[in-house]
Amino acid sequence: MTTAVAAKDQVRTAMDPRRYLGDTWRHPVARAVVKAFLTIWVTTTLTFFLIRLMPGSPVELKIDELIQTSNGSLSYEDAKAIASGLFAINLNAPLYEQYLSFIWNLLHLDLGNSFLSSGTGVTSIILAVLPWTLFSVGTGLLLSFIVGIGLGLLAAYRRDSLLDRVVSTGGSLISSIPNYLIALMMILFLGVQTHLINFTGMRGAYTSGLQPGFTPAFIGDILYHASLPITIYFLTQIGHWILSMRSATLSALEEDYVTAARARGLSDGRIRTAYVGRNAVLPLVTQLAISVGFIVGGAAIIEQTFAYQGVGLRLLSAVTQRDYPVIQGIVMLTTIAVVVANLAADLLYSKLDPRIGRAGGAAG
Amino acid sequence: MPVLSVRGLSIDYITRKGPVHAVRDVSFDLEKSETLAIIGESGSGKTTLAVGLIRLSPRGTKVTSGEILYTKKGLTTDVRTLDDDDLREYRWAEAAMVFQAALNSFNPVISIWEQFNDTARAHGMKDRRRVRDRADELLDLVHLDAKRVLPAFPHELSGGMKQRVLIALALMLEPQLVILDEPTTALDILTQRSIIDLLKQLRERLGFSMIFISHDLSIAAELADRMITMYAGRVVEEANVEDMFYRPRHPYSVGLLRAVPRVSGALGSVASIPGSPPDLMRLPKGCSYAPRCPYAIDECRAADPPLIPVDTPRHQAACIRWKHVAEVLGSNAEVPVAEKLA
Repeated sequence: MTTAVAAKDQVRTAMDPRRYLGDTWRHPVARAVVKAFLTIWVTTTLTFFLIRLMPGSPVELKIDELIQTSNGSLSYEDAKAIASGLFAINLNAPLYEQYLSFIWNLLHLDLGNSFLSSGTGVTSIILAVLPWTLFSVGTGLLLSFIVGIGLGLLAAYRRDSLLDRVVSTGGSLISSIPNYLIALMMILFLGVQTHLINFTGMRGAYTSGLQPGFTPAFIGDILYHASLPITIYFLTQIGHWILSMRSATLSALEEDYVTAARARGLSDGRIRTAYVGRNAVLPLVTQLAISVGFIVGGAAIIEQTFAYQGVGLRLLSAVTQRDYPVIQGIVMLTTIAVVVANLAADLLYSKLDPRIGRAGGAAG
Repeated sequence: MPVLSVRGLSIDYITRKGPVHAVRDVSFDLEKSETLAIIGESGSGKTTLAVGLIRLSPRGTKVTSGEILYTKKGLTTDVRTLDDDDLREYRWAEAAMVFQAALNSFNPVISIWEQFNDTARAHGMKDRRRVRDRADELLDLVHLDAKRVLPAFPHELSGGMKQRVLIALALMLEPQLVILDEPTTALDILTQRSIIDLLKQLRERLGFSMIFISHDLSIAAELADRMITMYAGRVVEEANVEDMFYRPRHPYSVGLLRAVPRVSGALGSVASIPGSPPDLMRLPKGCSYAPRCPYAIDECRAADPPLIPVDTPRHQAACIRWKHVAEVLGSNAEVPVAEKLA
């Protein structure tokens, strides 16, 4: 009798969809993934409505442009007719209809076509600009991270020395200057006043006319063109890494296990890497993973300053031209990147810090 | 020949307001297989002295004078003169230290096995299999299951287990000297007991010398052969355990003993010492215990009394009133101090 009841209970547990969903929800990874999708959906929806709230629709901008280029020979009505014909989406349709068709297309992984260069898919536009941004901002970020934690560690070890003062003062100074100001100062001093760098020749991601490919000439050219943006990304971020690493190292150095490691006669090198460095860098790895998410958004102003064809520059031009699908595509891409980076940061952290991932392990 | 002979050691903390004299002119000898307990209140300089013995004092600390003479196989060296490499070798291989905060003595992000291996490699044991065998043997010695403990991370072990692991790790290189800085303070009473029993067993089997720092007199009495009482950075009394317990001659030692509750005694027999330890930056003139001392006379405040032999040559106290203390306590040697004064 009792066994029969128990068996029945078990069957019910296995079948109950609410119980099943509840169990899934309790699984941390499943929960994180559901949250990620929710975030992306909310951001995308907000973007959709917000950009339509911006004054000036793409049709109006196009009408203005047509009238101006025709030197008044085109009437407003004619221009309007031509302009409306250029757009694949009916912008006069009710907002909810536009939204539903946008979501429907999105579910088919179709981001639509650009309004302005008709026939060009948003996906291919993004794919054309994304590598440049990933390359320039990513390199800047990685270099600043590596050099920054190195200098931060060194400064903490030589606390109150001249090197520490120079490095930490320099770090806090440079991290408080916005990147576009550094860019403008570089142009002003290195380009305009001293003519050390030929800025006009460095504009763009590579010299036009050069055949893209894995040739030394092309790679050299890419590096030449990217060098200034990379330098600026490097300079604007290194201060943060230096200061964070310095303070993390200082507190790690105070830990009992570092004193104990010294008492155990471990070599200074081993203590620096496995005991001080490894513990100090833990929180920074999470920050790095999150920063990686922001790479994708690029640095619009820097890319504009150097006419570097990255995501940020493309986003700026899409905004000024009210190219809705492109704006939406890029904002969504950035959102996804940030969300994924956050997820990765969580997973990475639990891998690096045994106290997180193995909670509830062997014993209390 | 003592294993360790400390001569006139003084350690200052350098602060903005001036030097803090944390350890003042400390001397003692530690024989082979002997256990020395150092007792005193918080802030009496016990821990500063202990870390000073392996030259691990924190930043801003300065050894102003003295010698730390370490003898191995008839060869005596002053630890203060060791260069970096020799010092690294001396630490753990000759003098291992079990810390007050054993709970935080392990690197949280690497496994216990890695920390054994790190220690072994730092002292030239490169063969992982031999290190593994040694770790198994040591953990067995402290009654832990090596298979379970070695792959674990520190946070997966309980406080008592961590303390045992640290003791095992301390014995890895068969040091002549093990310094234990309040090794049982953070543990519950049952775990304390098992750690003390363990230390007794290990000492008998392996014959190392121990310096045991504690404010818990009952534990100190159980383990120690000789005892030192420290007050305001100075040694105020040195004696073997029996003399210290039954015939203390420094009023501070008497006070410490009276502060220990006893199972047999009435509750009223427990008394704390009124007042608090002096500011180590501005020590009072004369005996630094005089302001709290019930037996102090004007003479006590004139000059800091030196350590002088009392009763026997191996029993020393820094008190000019020691005869008076002896009179107050009476001649009955078998009755514990607390009951005599109750």
